[in-house]
Amino acid sequence: MNPSLDKLTQSHARRYWQTHHGTRSPLLQVHEAIRKQHGSLNAEEIRELSRQVGMPESTVLSIISYYADLHGPRQSLRICRGTSCNLAGAEQVQPKLEKQAPCREVYCLGHCYQGPAALDKTDQVLVGEDLFSIDNAAEPRQRPPAAMPSIRCLATRAIVTKRAARDVYSFEQAQAEGVYSSFRRCLKASPVKIIETLEQAGERGRGGAGFSTGKKWRSCAESRADRRYVIANGDEGDPGSFIDRVLLENDPHGVIEGILLCAYAVGATQAIVFIRSEYPKAIQRMQSAIGATYKAGILGADAAYPLEISIFPGMGSYVCGEETAMLNAIEGLRGEVRIRPPYPAQAGLYGKPTVVNNVETLVNVAAIVAEGAQAYAALGTKASAGTKAMCLDHGFAQPGIVEVEFGITIRQLIESAGGAANGKPLEAVILGGPMGSLLLPDQWDVEVCYEAMAKSGIQLGHGGLVALQTGTNYRKLLEQWLKFMIDESCGKCVPCRLGPKQALIALQDDKTTGNRKDVITKLLGVIEQSSLCAFGQYMPSPIRKLLVVFGDRIFDQRYGE
Amino acid sequence: MTRASASINGRIIEIEKNETILKAARRLSIDIPTLCYSDKIQHEGGCRMCLVACAGSPRPVAACHTYLTAGMTINTHTPELENLRREILKLYLSEDGCSSLPGDDSGTKFGLLLGSYGITGAWPGKQTQAVDTSNPYLRFNANNCITCRLCLNTCEQIQGQFVYGVAGRGAATRLLLGMTNQFADSPCVTCGACVDVCPTGAITDCDRQDQRQADIKTQTVCGYCGVGCRLEVEALAGVVLRIKPVEDAIVNQGHLCLKGRYAHTYHHSSERLTQPLKKVDNKFEPISWEEALDLAAQKLIEITKIHGPSGLGALSSSRSTNEAAYLLQKLFRCLIHTNNIDCCARVCHSSTALGLQLMTGAGAASASYIDIEKASCIVLAGANPTAGHPVVGARIKQAVLRGASLILIDPRSIELADYADLHCQLLPGTNVALFNGIAKVLIEEDLIDTCYLENRVEGLEELKSFVKELGIEEISAITSVDQDQIVATARLIGKSGPVLFIHGLGLSELTQGTGSVMAFCNLGMLTGSIGLPGAGMLPLRGQNNVQGNADMGGMPNLVTGYQSLVEPKTRKKLELIWGCAPPIKPGLTIPEMIDAAAMGDVHALWIQGEDIVQSEPNETHVREALAKLDFLIVQELFFSETCQYADLIFPACAALEQEGTFTNGERRIQHVHPAVPAPGEARPDWLVIRDVGLRMGANWKHNSPSDIMDEIAQVAPDYFGGISYSRLQPDGLQWPCPAPGHPGTSSLHESKFMRGKGKLACIDYSQSPEHGIADFPFLLVTGRLLEHYNVGTMTRRTPNQLMVSEDVLNIHPEDAGKYKILDGQKVKLTSRWGSTIVTVTSSRRIAPGTLFLSFHFPETHTNRVTGPHHDPQSKCPQYKAIAVRVEAIN
Repeated sequence: MNPSLDKLTQSHARRYWQTHHGTRSPLLQVHEAIRKQHGSLNAEEIRELSRQVGMPESTVLSIISYYADLHGPRQSLRICRGTSCNLAGAEQVQPKLEKQAPCREVYCLGHCYQGPAALDKTDQVLVGEDLFSIDNAAEPRQRPPAAMPSIRCLATRAIVTKRAARDVYSFEQAQAEGVYSSFRRCLKASPVKIIETLEQAGERGRGGAGFSTGKKWRSCAESRADRRYVIANGDEGDPGSFIDRVLLENDPHGVIEGILLCAYAVGATQAIVFIRSEYPKAIQRMQSAIGATYKAGILGADAAYPLEISIFPGMGSYVCGEETAMLNAIEGLRGEVRIRPPYPAQAGLYGKPTVVNNVETLVNVAAIVAEGAQAYAALGTKASAGTKAMCLDHGFAQPGIVEVEFGITIRQLIESAGGAANGKPLEAVILGGPMGSLLLPDQWDVEVCYEAMAKSGIQLGHGGLVALQTGTNYRKLLEQWLKFMIDESCGKCVPCRLGPKQALIALQDDKTTGNRKDVITKLLGVIEQSSLCAFGQYMPSPIRKLLVVFGDRIFDQRYGE
Repeated sequence: MTRASASINGRIIEIEKNETILKAARRLSIDIPTLCYSDKIQHEGGCRMCLVACAGSPRPVAACHTYLTAGMTINTHTPELENLRREILKLYLSEDGCSSLPGDDSGTKFGLLLGSYGITGAWPGKQTQAVDTSNPYLRFNANNCITCRLCLNTCEQIQGQFVYGVAGRGAATRLLLGMTNQFADSPCVTCGACVDVCPTGAITDCDRQDQRQADIKTQTVCGYCGVGCRLEVEALAGVVLRIKPVEDAIVNQGHLCLKGRYAHTYHHSSERLTQPLKKVDNKFEPISWEEALDLAAQKLIEITKIHGPSGLGALSSSRSTNEAAYLLQKLFRCLIHTNNIDCCARVCHSSTALGLQLMTGAGAASASYIDIEKASCIVLAGANPTAGHPVVGARIKQAVLRGASLILIDPRSIELADYADLHCQLLPGTNVALFNGIAKVLIEEDLIDTCYLENRVEGLEELKSFVKELGIEEISAITSVDQDQIVATARLIGKSGPVLFIHGLGLSELTQGTGSVMAFCNLGMLTGSIGLPGAGMLPLRGQNNVQGNADMGGMPNLVTGYQSLVEPKTRKKLELIWGCAPPIKPGLTIPEMIDAAAMGDVHALWIQGEDIVQSEPNETHVREALAKLDFLIVQELFFSETCQYADLIFPACAALEQEGTFTNGERRIQHVHPAVPAPGEARPDWLVIRDVGLRMGANWKHNSPSDIMDEIAQVAPDYFGGISYSRLQPDGLQWPCPAPGHPGTSSLHESKFMRGKGKLACIDYSQSPEHGIADFPFLLVTGRLLEHYNVGTMTRRTPNQLMVSEDVLNIHPEDAGKYKILDGQKVKLTSRWGSTIVTVTSSRRIAPGTLFLSFHFPETHTNRVTGPHHDPQSKCPQYKAIAVRVEAIN
C-alpha cells in the first residue's frame, strides 16, 4: 500500500480551521455574530460571516443549520418539551404562550421537579402555575428566581450535594467551606498520586457509561502529547435529571476544584466547561466563579498550577452531551459523534489527549482525595463506590435531588419520595432519560448500581427518574419520544437519521398498512441494531418496552386521543 | 509461534495490525457491501451496510471501523444481517412509499445494491430540484443524493477543499454544495475526485454523462505541469472520451486536477495545425512534409555556411519528450556545431538549477513528492501549488491537515495561507534578505544541526561571520516582515527537525534569483535537512518536461546529463557515439539569442513548442528580434503569436498523441504513450528532428523513441545508464539511475552531497532594479491561475475558457479605494517598459502596494510590462517584481 495512504487511514485528518490551537473557536464566533442579529442571516450575511471566521460558507451554513440556537428565532420563549414537562402539560400550555410571544421548543431546562417550564427572552425561568397563568409572555417582568429543588441525603454522608443544598457560589463562601484545600494539598504531591487514589477509590463516571475515572485519567496522562485538555461536561440533557445544573449554579467552585485536580493529574493546561444554553443561570454563575478564581490567583498562567478555564456554551443539541460530539462542537463542527477508538483520552480535542468528565463526577474528586480512597470505597457497593445524586421529577410526592449510596433499590428510593404525587398510583418510572429504561414495579427491587443494573439490562443513565402515573397518555408519550429522536438525531448514520421519522409516520399516517405496532417495533429494532452511537442504540429499548406494555392503550383510539 | 488469528465466515485468518474487519474480509475475497466507504478516506461509518455479526457482541459491528482482533468470530452474511441491510436500504425510499416507480436502474453502485436486495420502490423520490449546470464539467443532481458524504470526505481528505457541508439534522439532514448547491458558487476546484466516488450519480461530469464505451484505454502521463500525474485515457474512434487518474500511480495516487482530468478537448480543436506551412509573401501555404523537411535542412545548412554556426540557435520545448529534446540539441551541436541551444527553464527555474548545482552538486530537487507526506515541517516559498501544481498543492494541504507545520513565504496570501502556521508576506524580490535573517536567528539561537554541518558541509564559519553583521531590524525594513515574525519563523524551522523546503518561481524569476535559491538552500543545510527523508529541497518544476529538457542537454553550457563541454573524457565519448564533439565554447541563452537576433548576430532559430512572444519578458523587444531573423522554424500545435514570425511551421503532436518519456519535477522519468492519433499530418517532434538531421547528412539510426533513450543511457551513464523503456513500467525511474539493476534515487545527497561537501553561501541582499522607482508606486507580480496553463495555448481551447475568460489584475481593496478603481473596471497598467490594459478585481490575497497579473491570454500582453532585467548568473528574467503604476480608464 502507498505509504501516504497508510498514514492517512491511521491519523486523524482535520479541517484547516481545526489546526489552529489556542485561538477562539470559530463556532463561538459564529454564535456571537448570530446572537447580535435579530432576524436570521441572509445569504450575503452568511458569506460575510464565513469570511470573518475563516471558514467555508458551506461549513458555516452546516453548523448554523445544525444547532437549534443558531437558526431558531432568537427573541423567543423557550418552552421545555422534555418528557417530564410534557407530562406536566407543556403541550397544553404551549398554544396559549404562542399567542403571546414567538416560542421555541427545547429539551430540557432542568426544572423537571416543577414543570412545565419555560425561559423567557431575558432568561428568567417560568415554571408550573406561573406558566399557566402568564398573560404577557412577550413582555417579561422581573420575577423572583425559580425555586431550587429540595436536596435530601439518604447516604451515610453527603459527598456530591454537601454544598449544593446551601448555594455556595461566592468564592469567599466556597473557600470558607474548604473548597480548593484538597487541590492545594495535592499540589505538594506528584500528580500520579491523585490518579492512584481515584483508582483505589473506584469512582466511576456519572454521565451514564460508568467508566472508571482513574483509568480514564491515567490513559490521558500516559498518552504522549505536547498538550492535553480537560472538559467538564455540563451538557446534562436527559429530561428528568437536573443535578448538574444545580451543581453548576450552587457549587461552581466544587466543579472548578475538580477540574483543577484533573488538569494537574493529567498535565492539562487548558480546560473547558461545556454548559448547555438551556442553563443560562449555570453559565452565568460558572462564569463569575471562574472570574473570581482567576482573581484569587488559583487559575491563570501565574498560578501555582497554570491552568486556563473557559466556558463553551452549548447551542441546542442533545447529542453534544456525548463526549466526541462535544469535541466536534468545540472544534467548530456539527455536533456529530466521532467513531471510537480513538477515545478522547488518547486523541480528543484537536487530536490531543482529553479527559471529558461529567460535572457530578468532577465534584466527587475533591472529596475523594480529602477523605482518602478507602473511606470513599467504603460507601456504596463493591463495584460501584460512593454515592449517586438521583433526581425525581414532579410526578413524585417529594420531587428533587436525593443523594444515595449505590446499592439502594429503586423501590426504596420511590418510597422515600412518598410515591407518586397527589397519591395517584405509579404505573412505571423512566430511569435515566430517553436512552434509559422503562421500569415497571416488578423491576423496582433492582439496586442502583452499575453491575446489578447491567445484569438486568437496565441503564442508570444520569440517574433521573420520571414518574408515570395512572392515566398517562402513552400514545402522546410515544409520539413525543419519537419526535425527540427525529429532532435530536445528529444525522450521521442512516438508521437513526431516517428510521425515527418512518416510525412516526407509521404511527400517525392513516395509509400505514399492516399492524402499526409491528411496523414501529421492526423499525426500532433496525435502529437499535445498526446505529452508530448510544443515541440510536439505546433509545429504542425503552420505547419498545412501552409498546409491549402499553401497546393496547397506544393503539386503542379510546385512550389515544 | 503461530500468529494470532480470528475467524470470518468460519475461515481462519491471521491478524494483521490495525486492520479493519472489512479489509481482512477482502483478503479472504469476502465482499461486504458498503455505501459510504472508500479506501482513501477515513471511515465515515454512516451507511451501516457493512455491519457484521461478532460473537459476544450485543449488536452487529461495523466492519469498516472495527478492527479485527485475536479470537473474534465474525459472520458477514447471516440471514439476519442480510435482512437488516435490506431494512436499512428501504429507509432511503421516499416517504410517500406508495409510488409504483421501479428502483434505480442507472447502474450506479447504489442502484445495483438496491437491486441485489430486491428493493423496488420510489427512489429517488420527488424530482423537485433542478440539476446544477453552473460548472462547465461538473453536474449535481440533489434529487439523487443519499447524503452518504463520500463526496464531502473525498473533497476534504483528498483535495483538501471544503466545498461540501451537511445541513440540518435528523431526517432533514442533507448534503450542501457550497451555499447554493451550485459548483460555480462554491470553492470547488473541479478536481473531479467526488465524481469518482459518488455511488448514486448525484454528482457526475459531462465526460461521464456521455456513456459511450471506449474502444481503447491507454495509460500515460499528463502533459500539463511538472508534477507528472499518470492518466488513464479512454478514447473512442481516435477521440478522447474521458480521463481518469491511475489509481495506484505513485505520483498522483488516484488523484488529478482540473487540467489533467478535464482540459483535454484542445487535442481535437479545429485550430490545430495539421500540415507543414511555409511563408510565401507574408502568407502561409501548406506544403508537403518532404518539401518542408528539405527546406529546413537546406536553410539550416545555407545559413550556417553564410553566417557560421553561431548564427543559428534552437529553443527546445519543455512540453515535448526527452527524446525530442535530446535530438534537437544533438542536431545543433553535432550537425551545425553550435551550443546555441537552450530551453524555457531559462525563464523559470534556471536560477534554481544553477543555485542548487553550485551548493549541492545537483541542479535538481533533492527530495521527492513522497517527502511531503513524510515531512513534519514544510517551508513553502514563492510558489502557489494549489494553482500551478494542484495535485502537489492537495498533498501539501493533506500533510498540514494531518499535523505537519506549514510556513509560507510569499508576497501573496495564497490559498495555502489559510493552512499555514506562519506567513511571511514579504515585499516581492526580497527573499535573500529574509532568508539571511532566518539563517541569522537559526545560527544565533543555536537551532542548527552542528553534527550534520561538521560532517557534510563547508563554509559555516564564513556564514556565521556574514550573518553576524546583519541586523534583523534592517531586514524587517527591507522585507516588510515583522521582526517577531522572522524570529518565530526561524524558531519553528529550527525546532522541527529536518524540514522540507519547497519553492517556485517566486525565488528564481528575480535578478537575485540564483541568490534567493542559494540563501534558501542555506536553510536546508543549516537545519541538516538535505538528503533526509521528509526533508530537503523540492523546487516545483513548471512544465511536464522542463526537468527533462535540461537533463537532455537543452542548455548552452552543458551536454546531456549535465556533462561539461570541456572535459576530455566526455568529448572523447561523444566523438565515439555522436561522431563528433560539440564546440567547447558555451552557446547563448534564450535572452542572449533574442538580443543577438535583434542585433543581427543570430539569423536563424528553431523554436520547438514555445510561444516566446507571449512568454518572454519585454514583448516588444522579442517581436522586433523575431522580425529580423532570416529563417525561423516553429514546431507547434496551434498558430501561436510566435508563428506569425515563422518561415516554416511544423505541425506537432500533443501530449496524448506521442510516445516518449517525460521527466517530472522529482527527477522521475515516466513512459508516455499515444492515446489518440495526431490530427492530419502532424508528426511527433523527434521524428521531424531526425528527418531534418538525416537530410543534413547525419547517419542517425534511431527508429523509435526507445532507440533514442538507449543512446541517452550511453551518453550520460552516471544519470541514465540504467534507464531503458523496458524498465519504465509502471511508475518510471528517478535519476540518477546509473546501472540496469539500479532502483533509481528518491532522495539525492543521502549520505554525502554530489558535490562532495555541501557549500554554504554568503549572499548579500541587493535591491533589484525595479525597486524604489519614482512614479511607479506598485510592485507587480506575474503568475498563473488554476484554470489555465502558461500562455493558455492548450487550456484556452477547452471549456476552462468558460471558467476564466480573461487575465485578472488583483489589487488590494485599500489601494483600489485610494485610486478609485472599481471591480471589473479596465485600468491601464504601465511600467517603464510598456503598458497594457487589463480588468481589475480587488482581493485581500495581495498586500497593499503589490499587484498580481496572470499571463494566460495573448491579448493581455502581460509581458509588454515586464522588463529587461535578469539574473546576471542564470539569465533568468525578473517576472516577479516589476515597478508599475495603474490608472483607471473611464
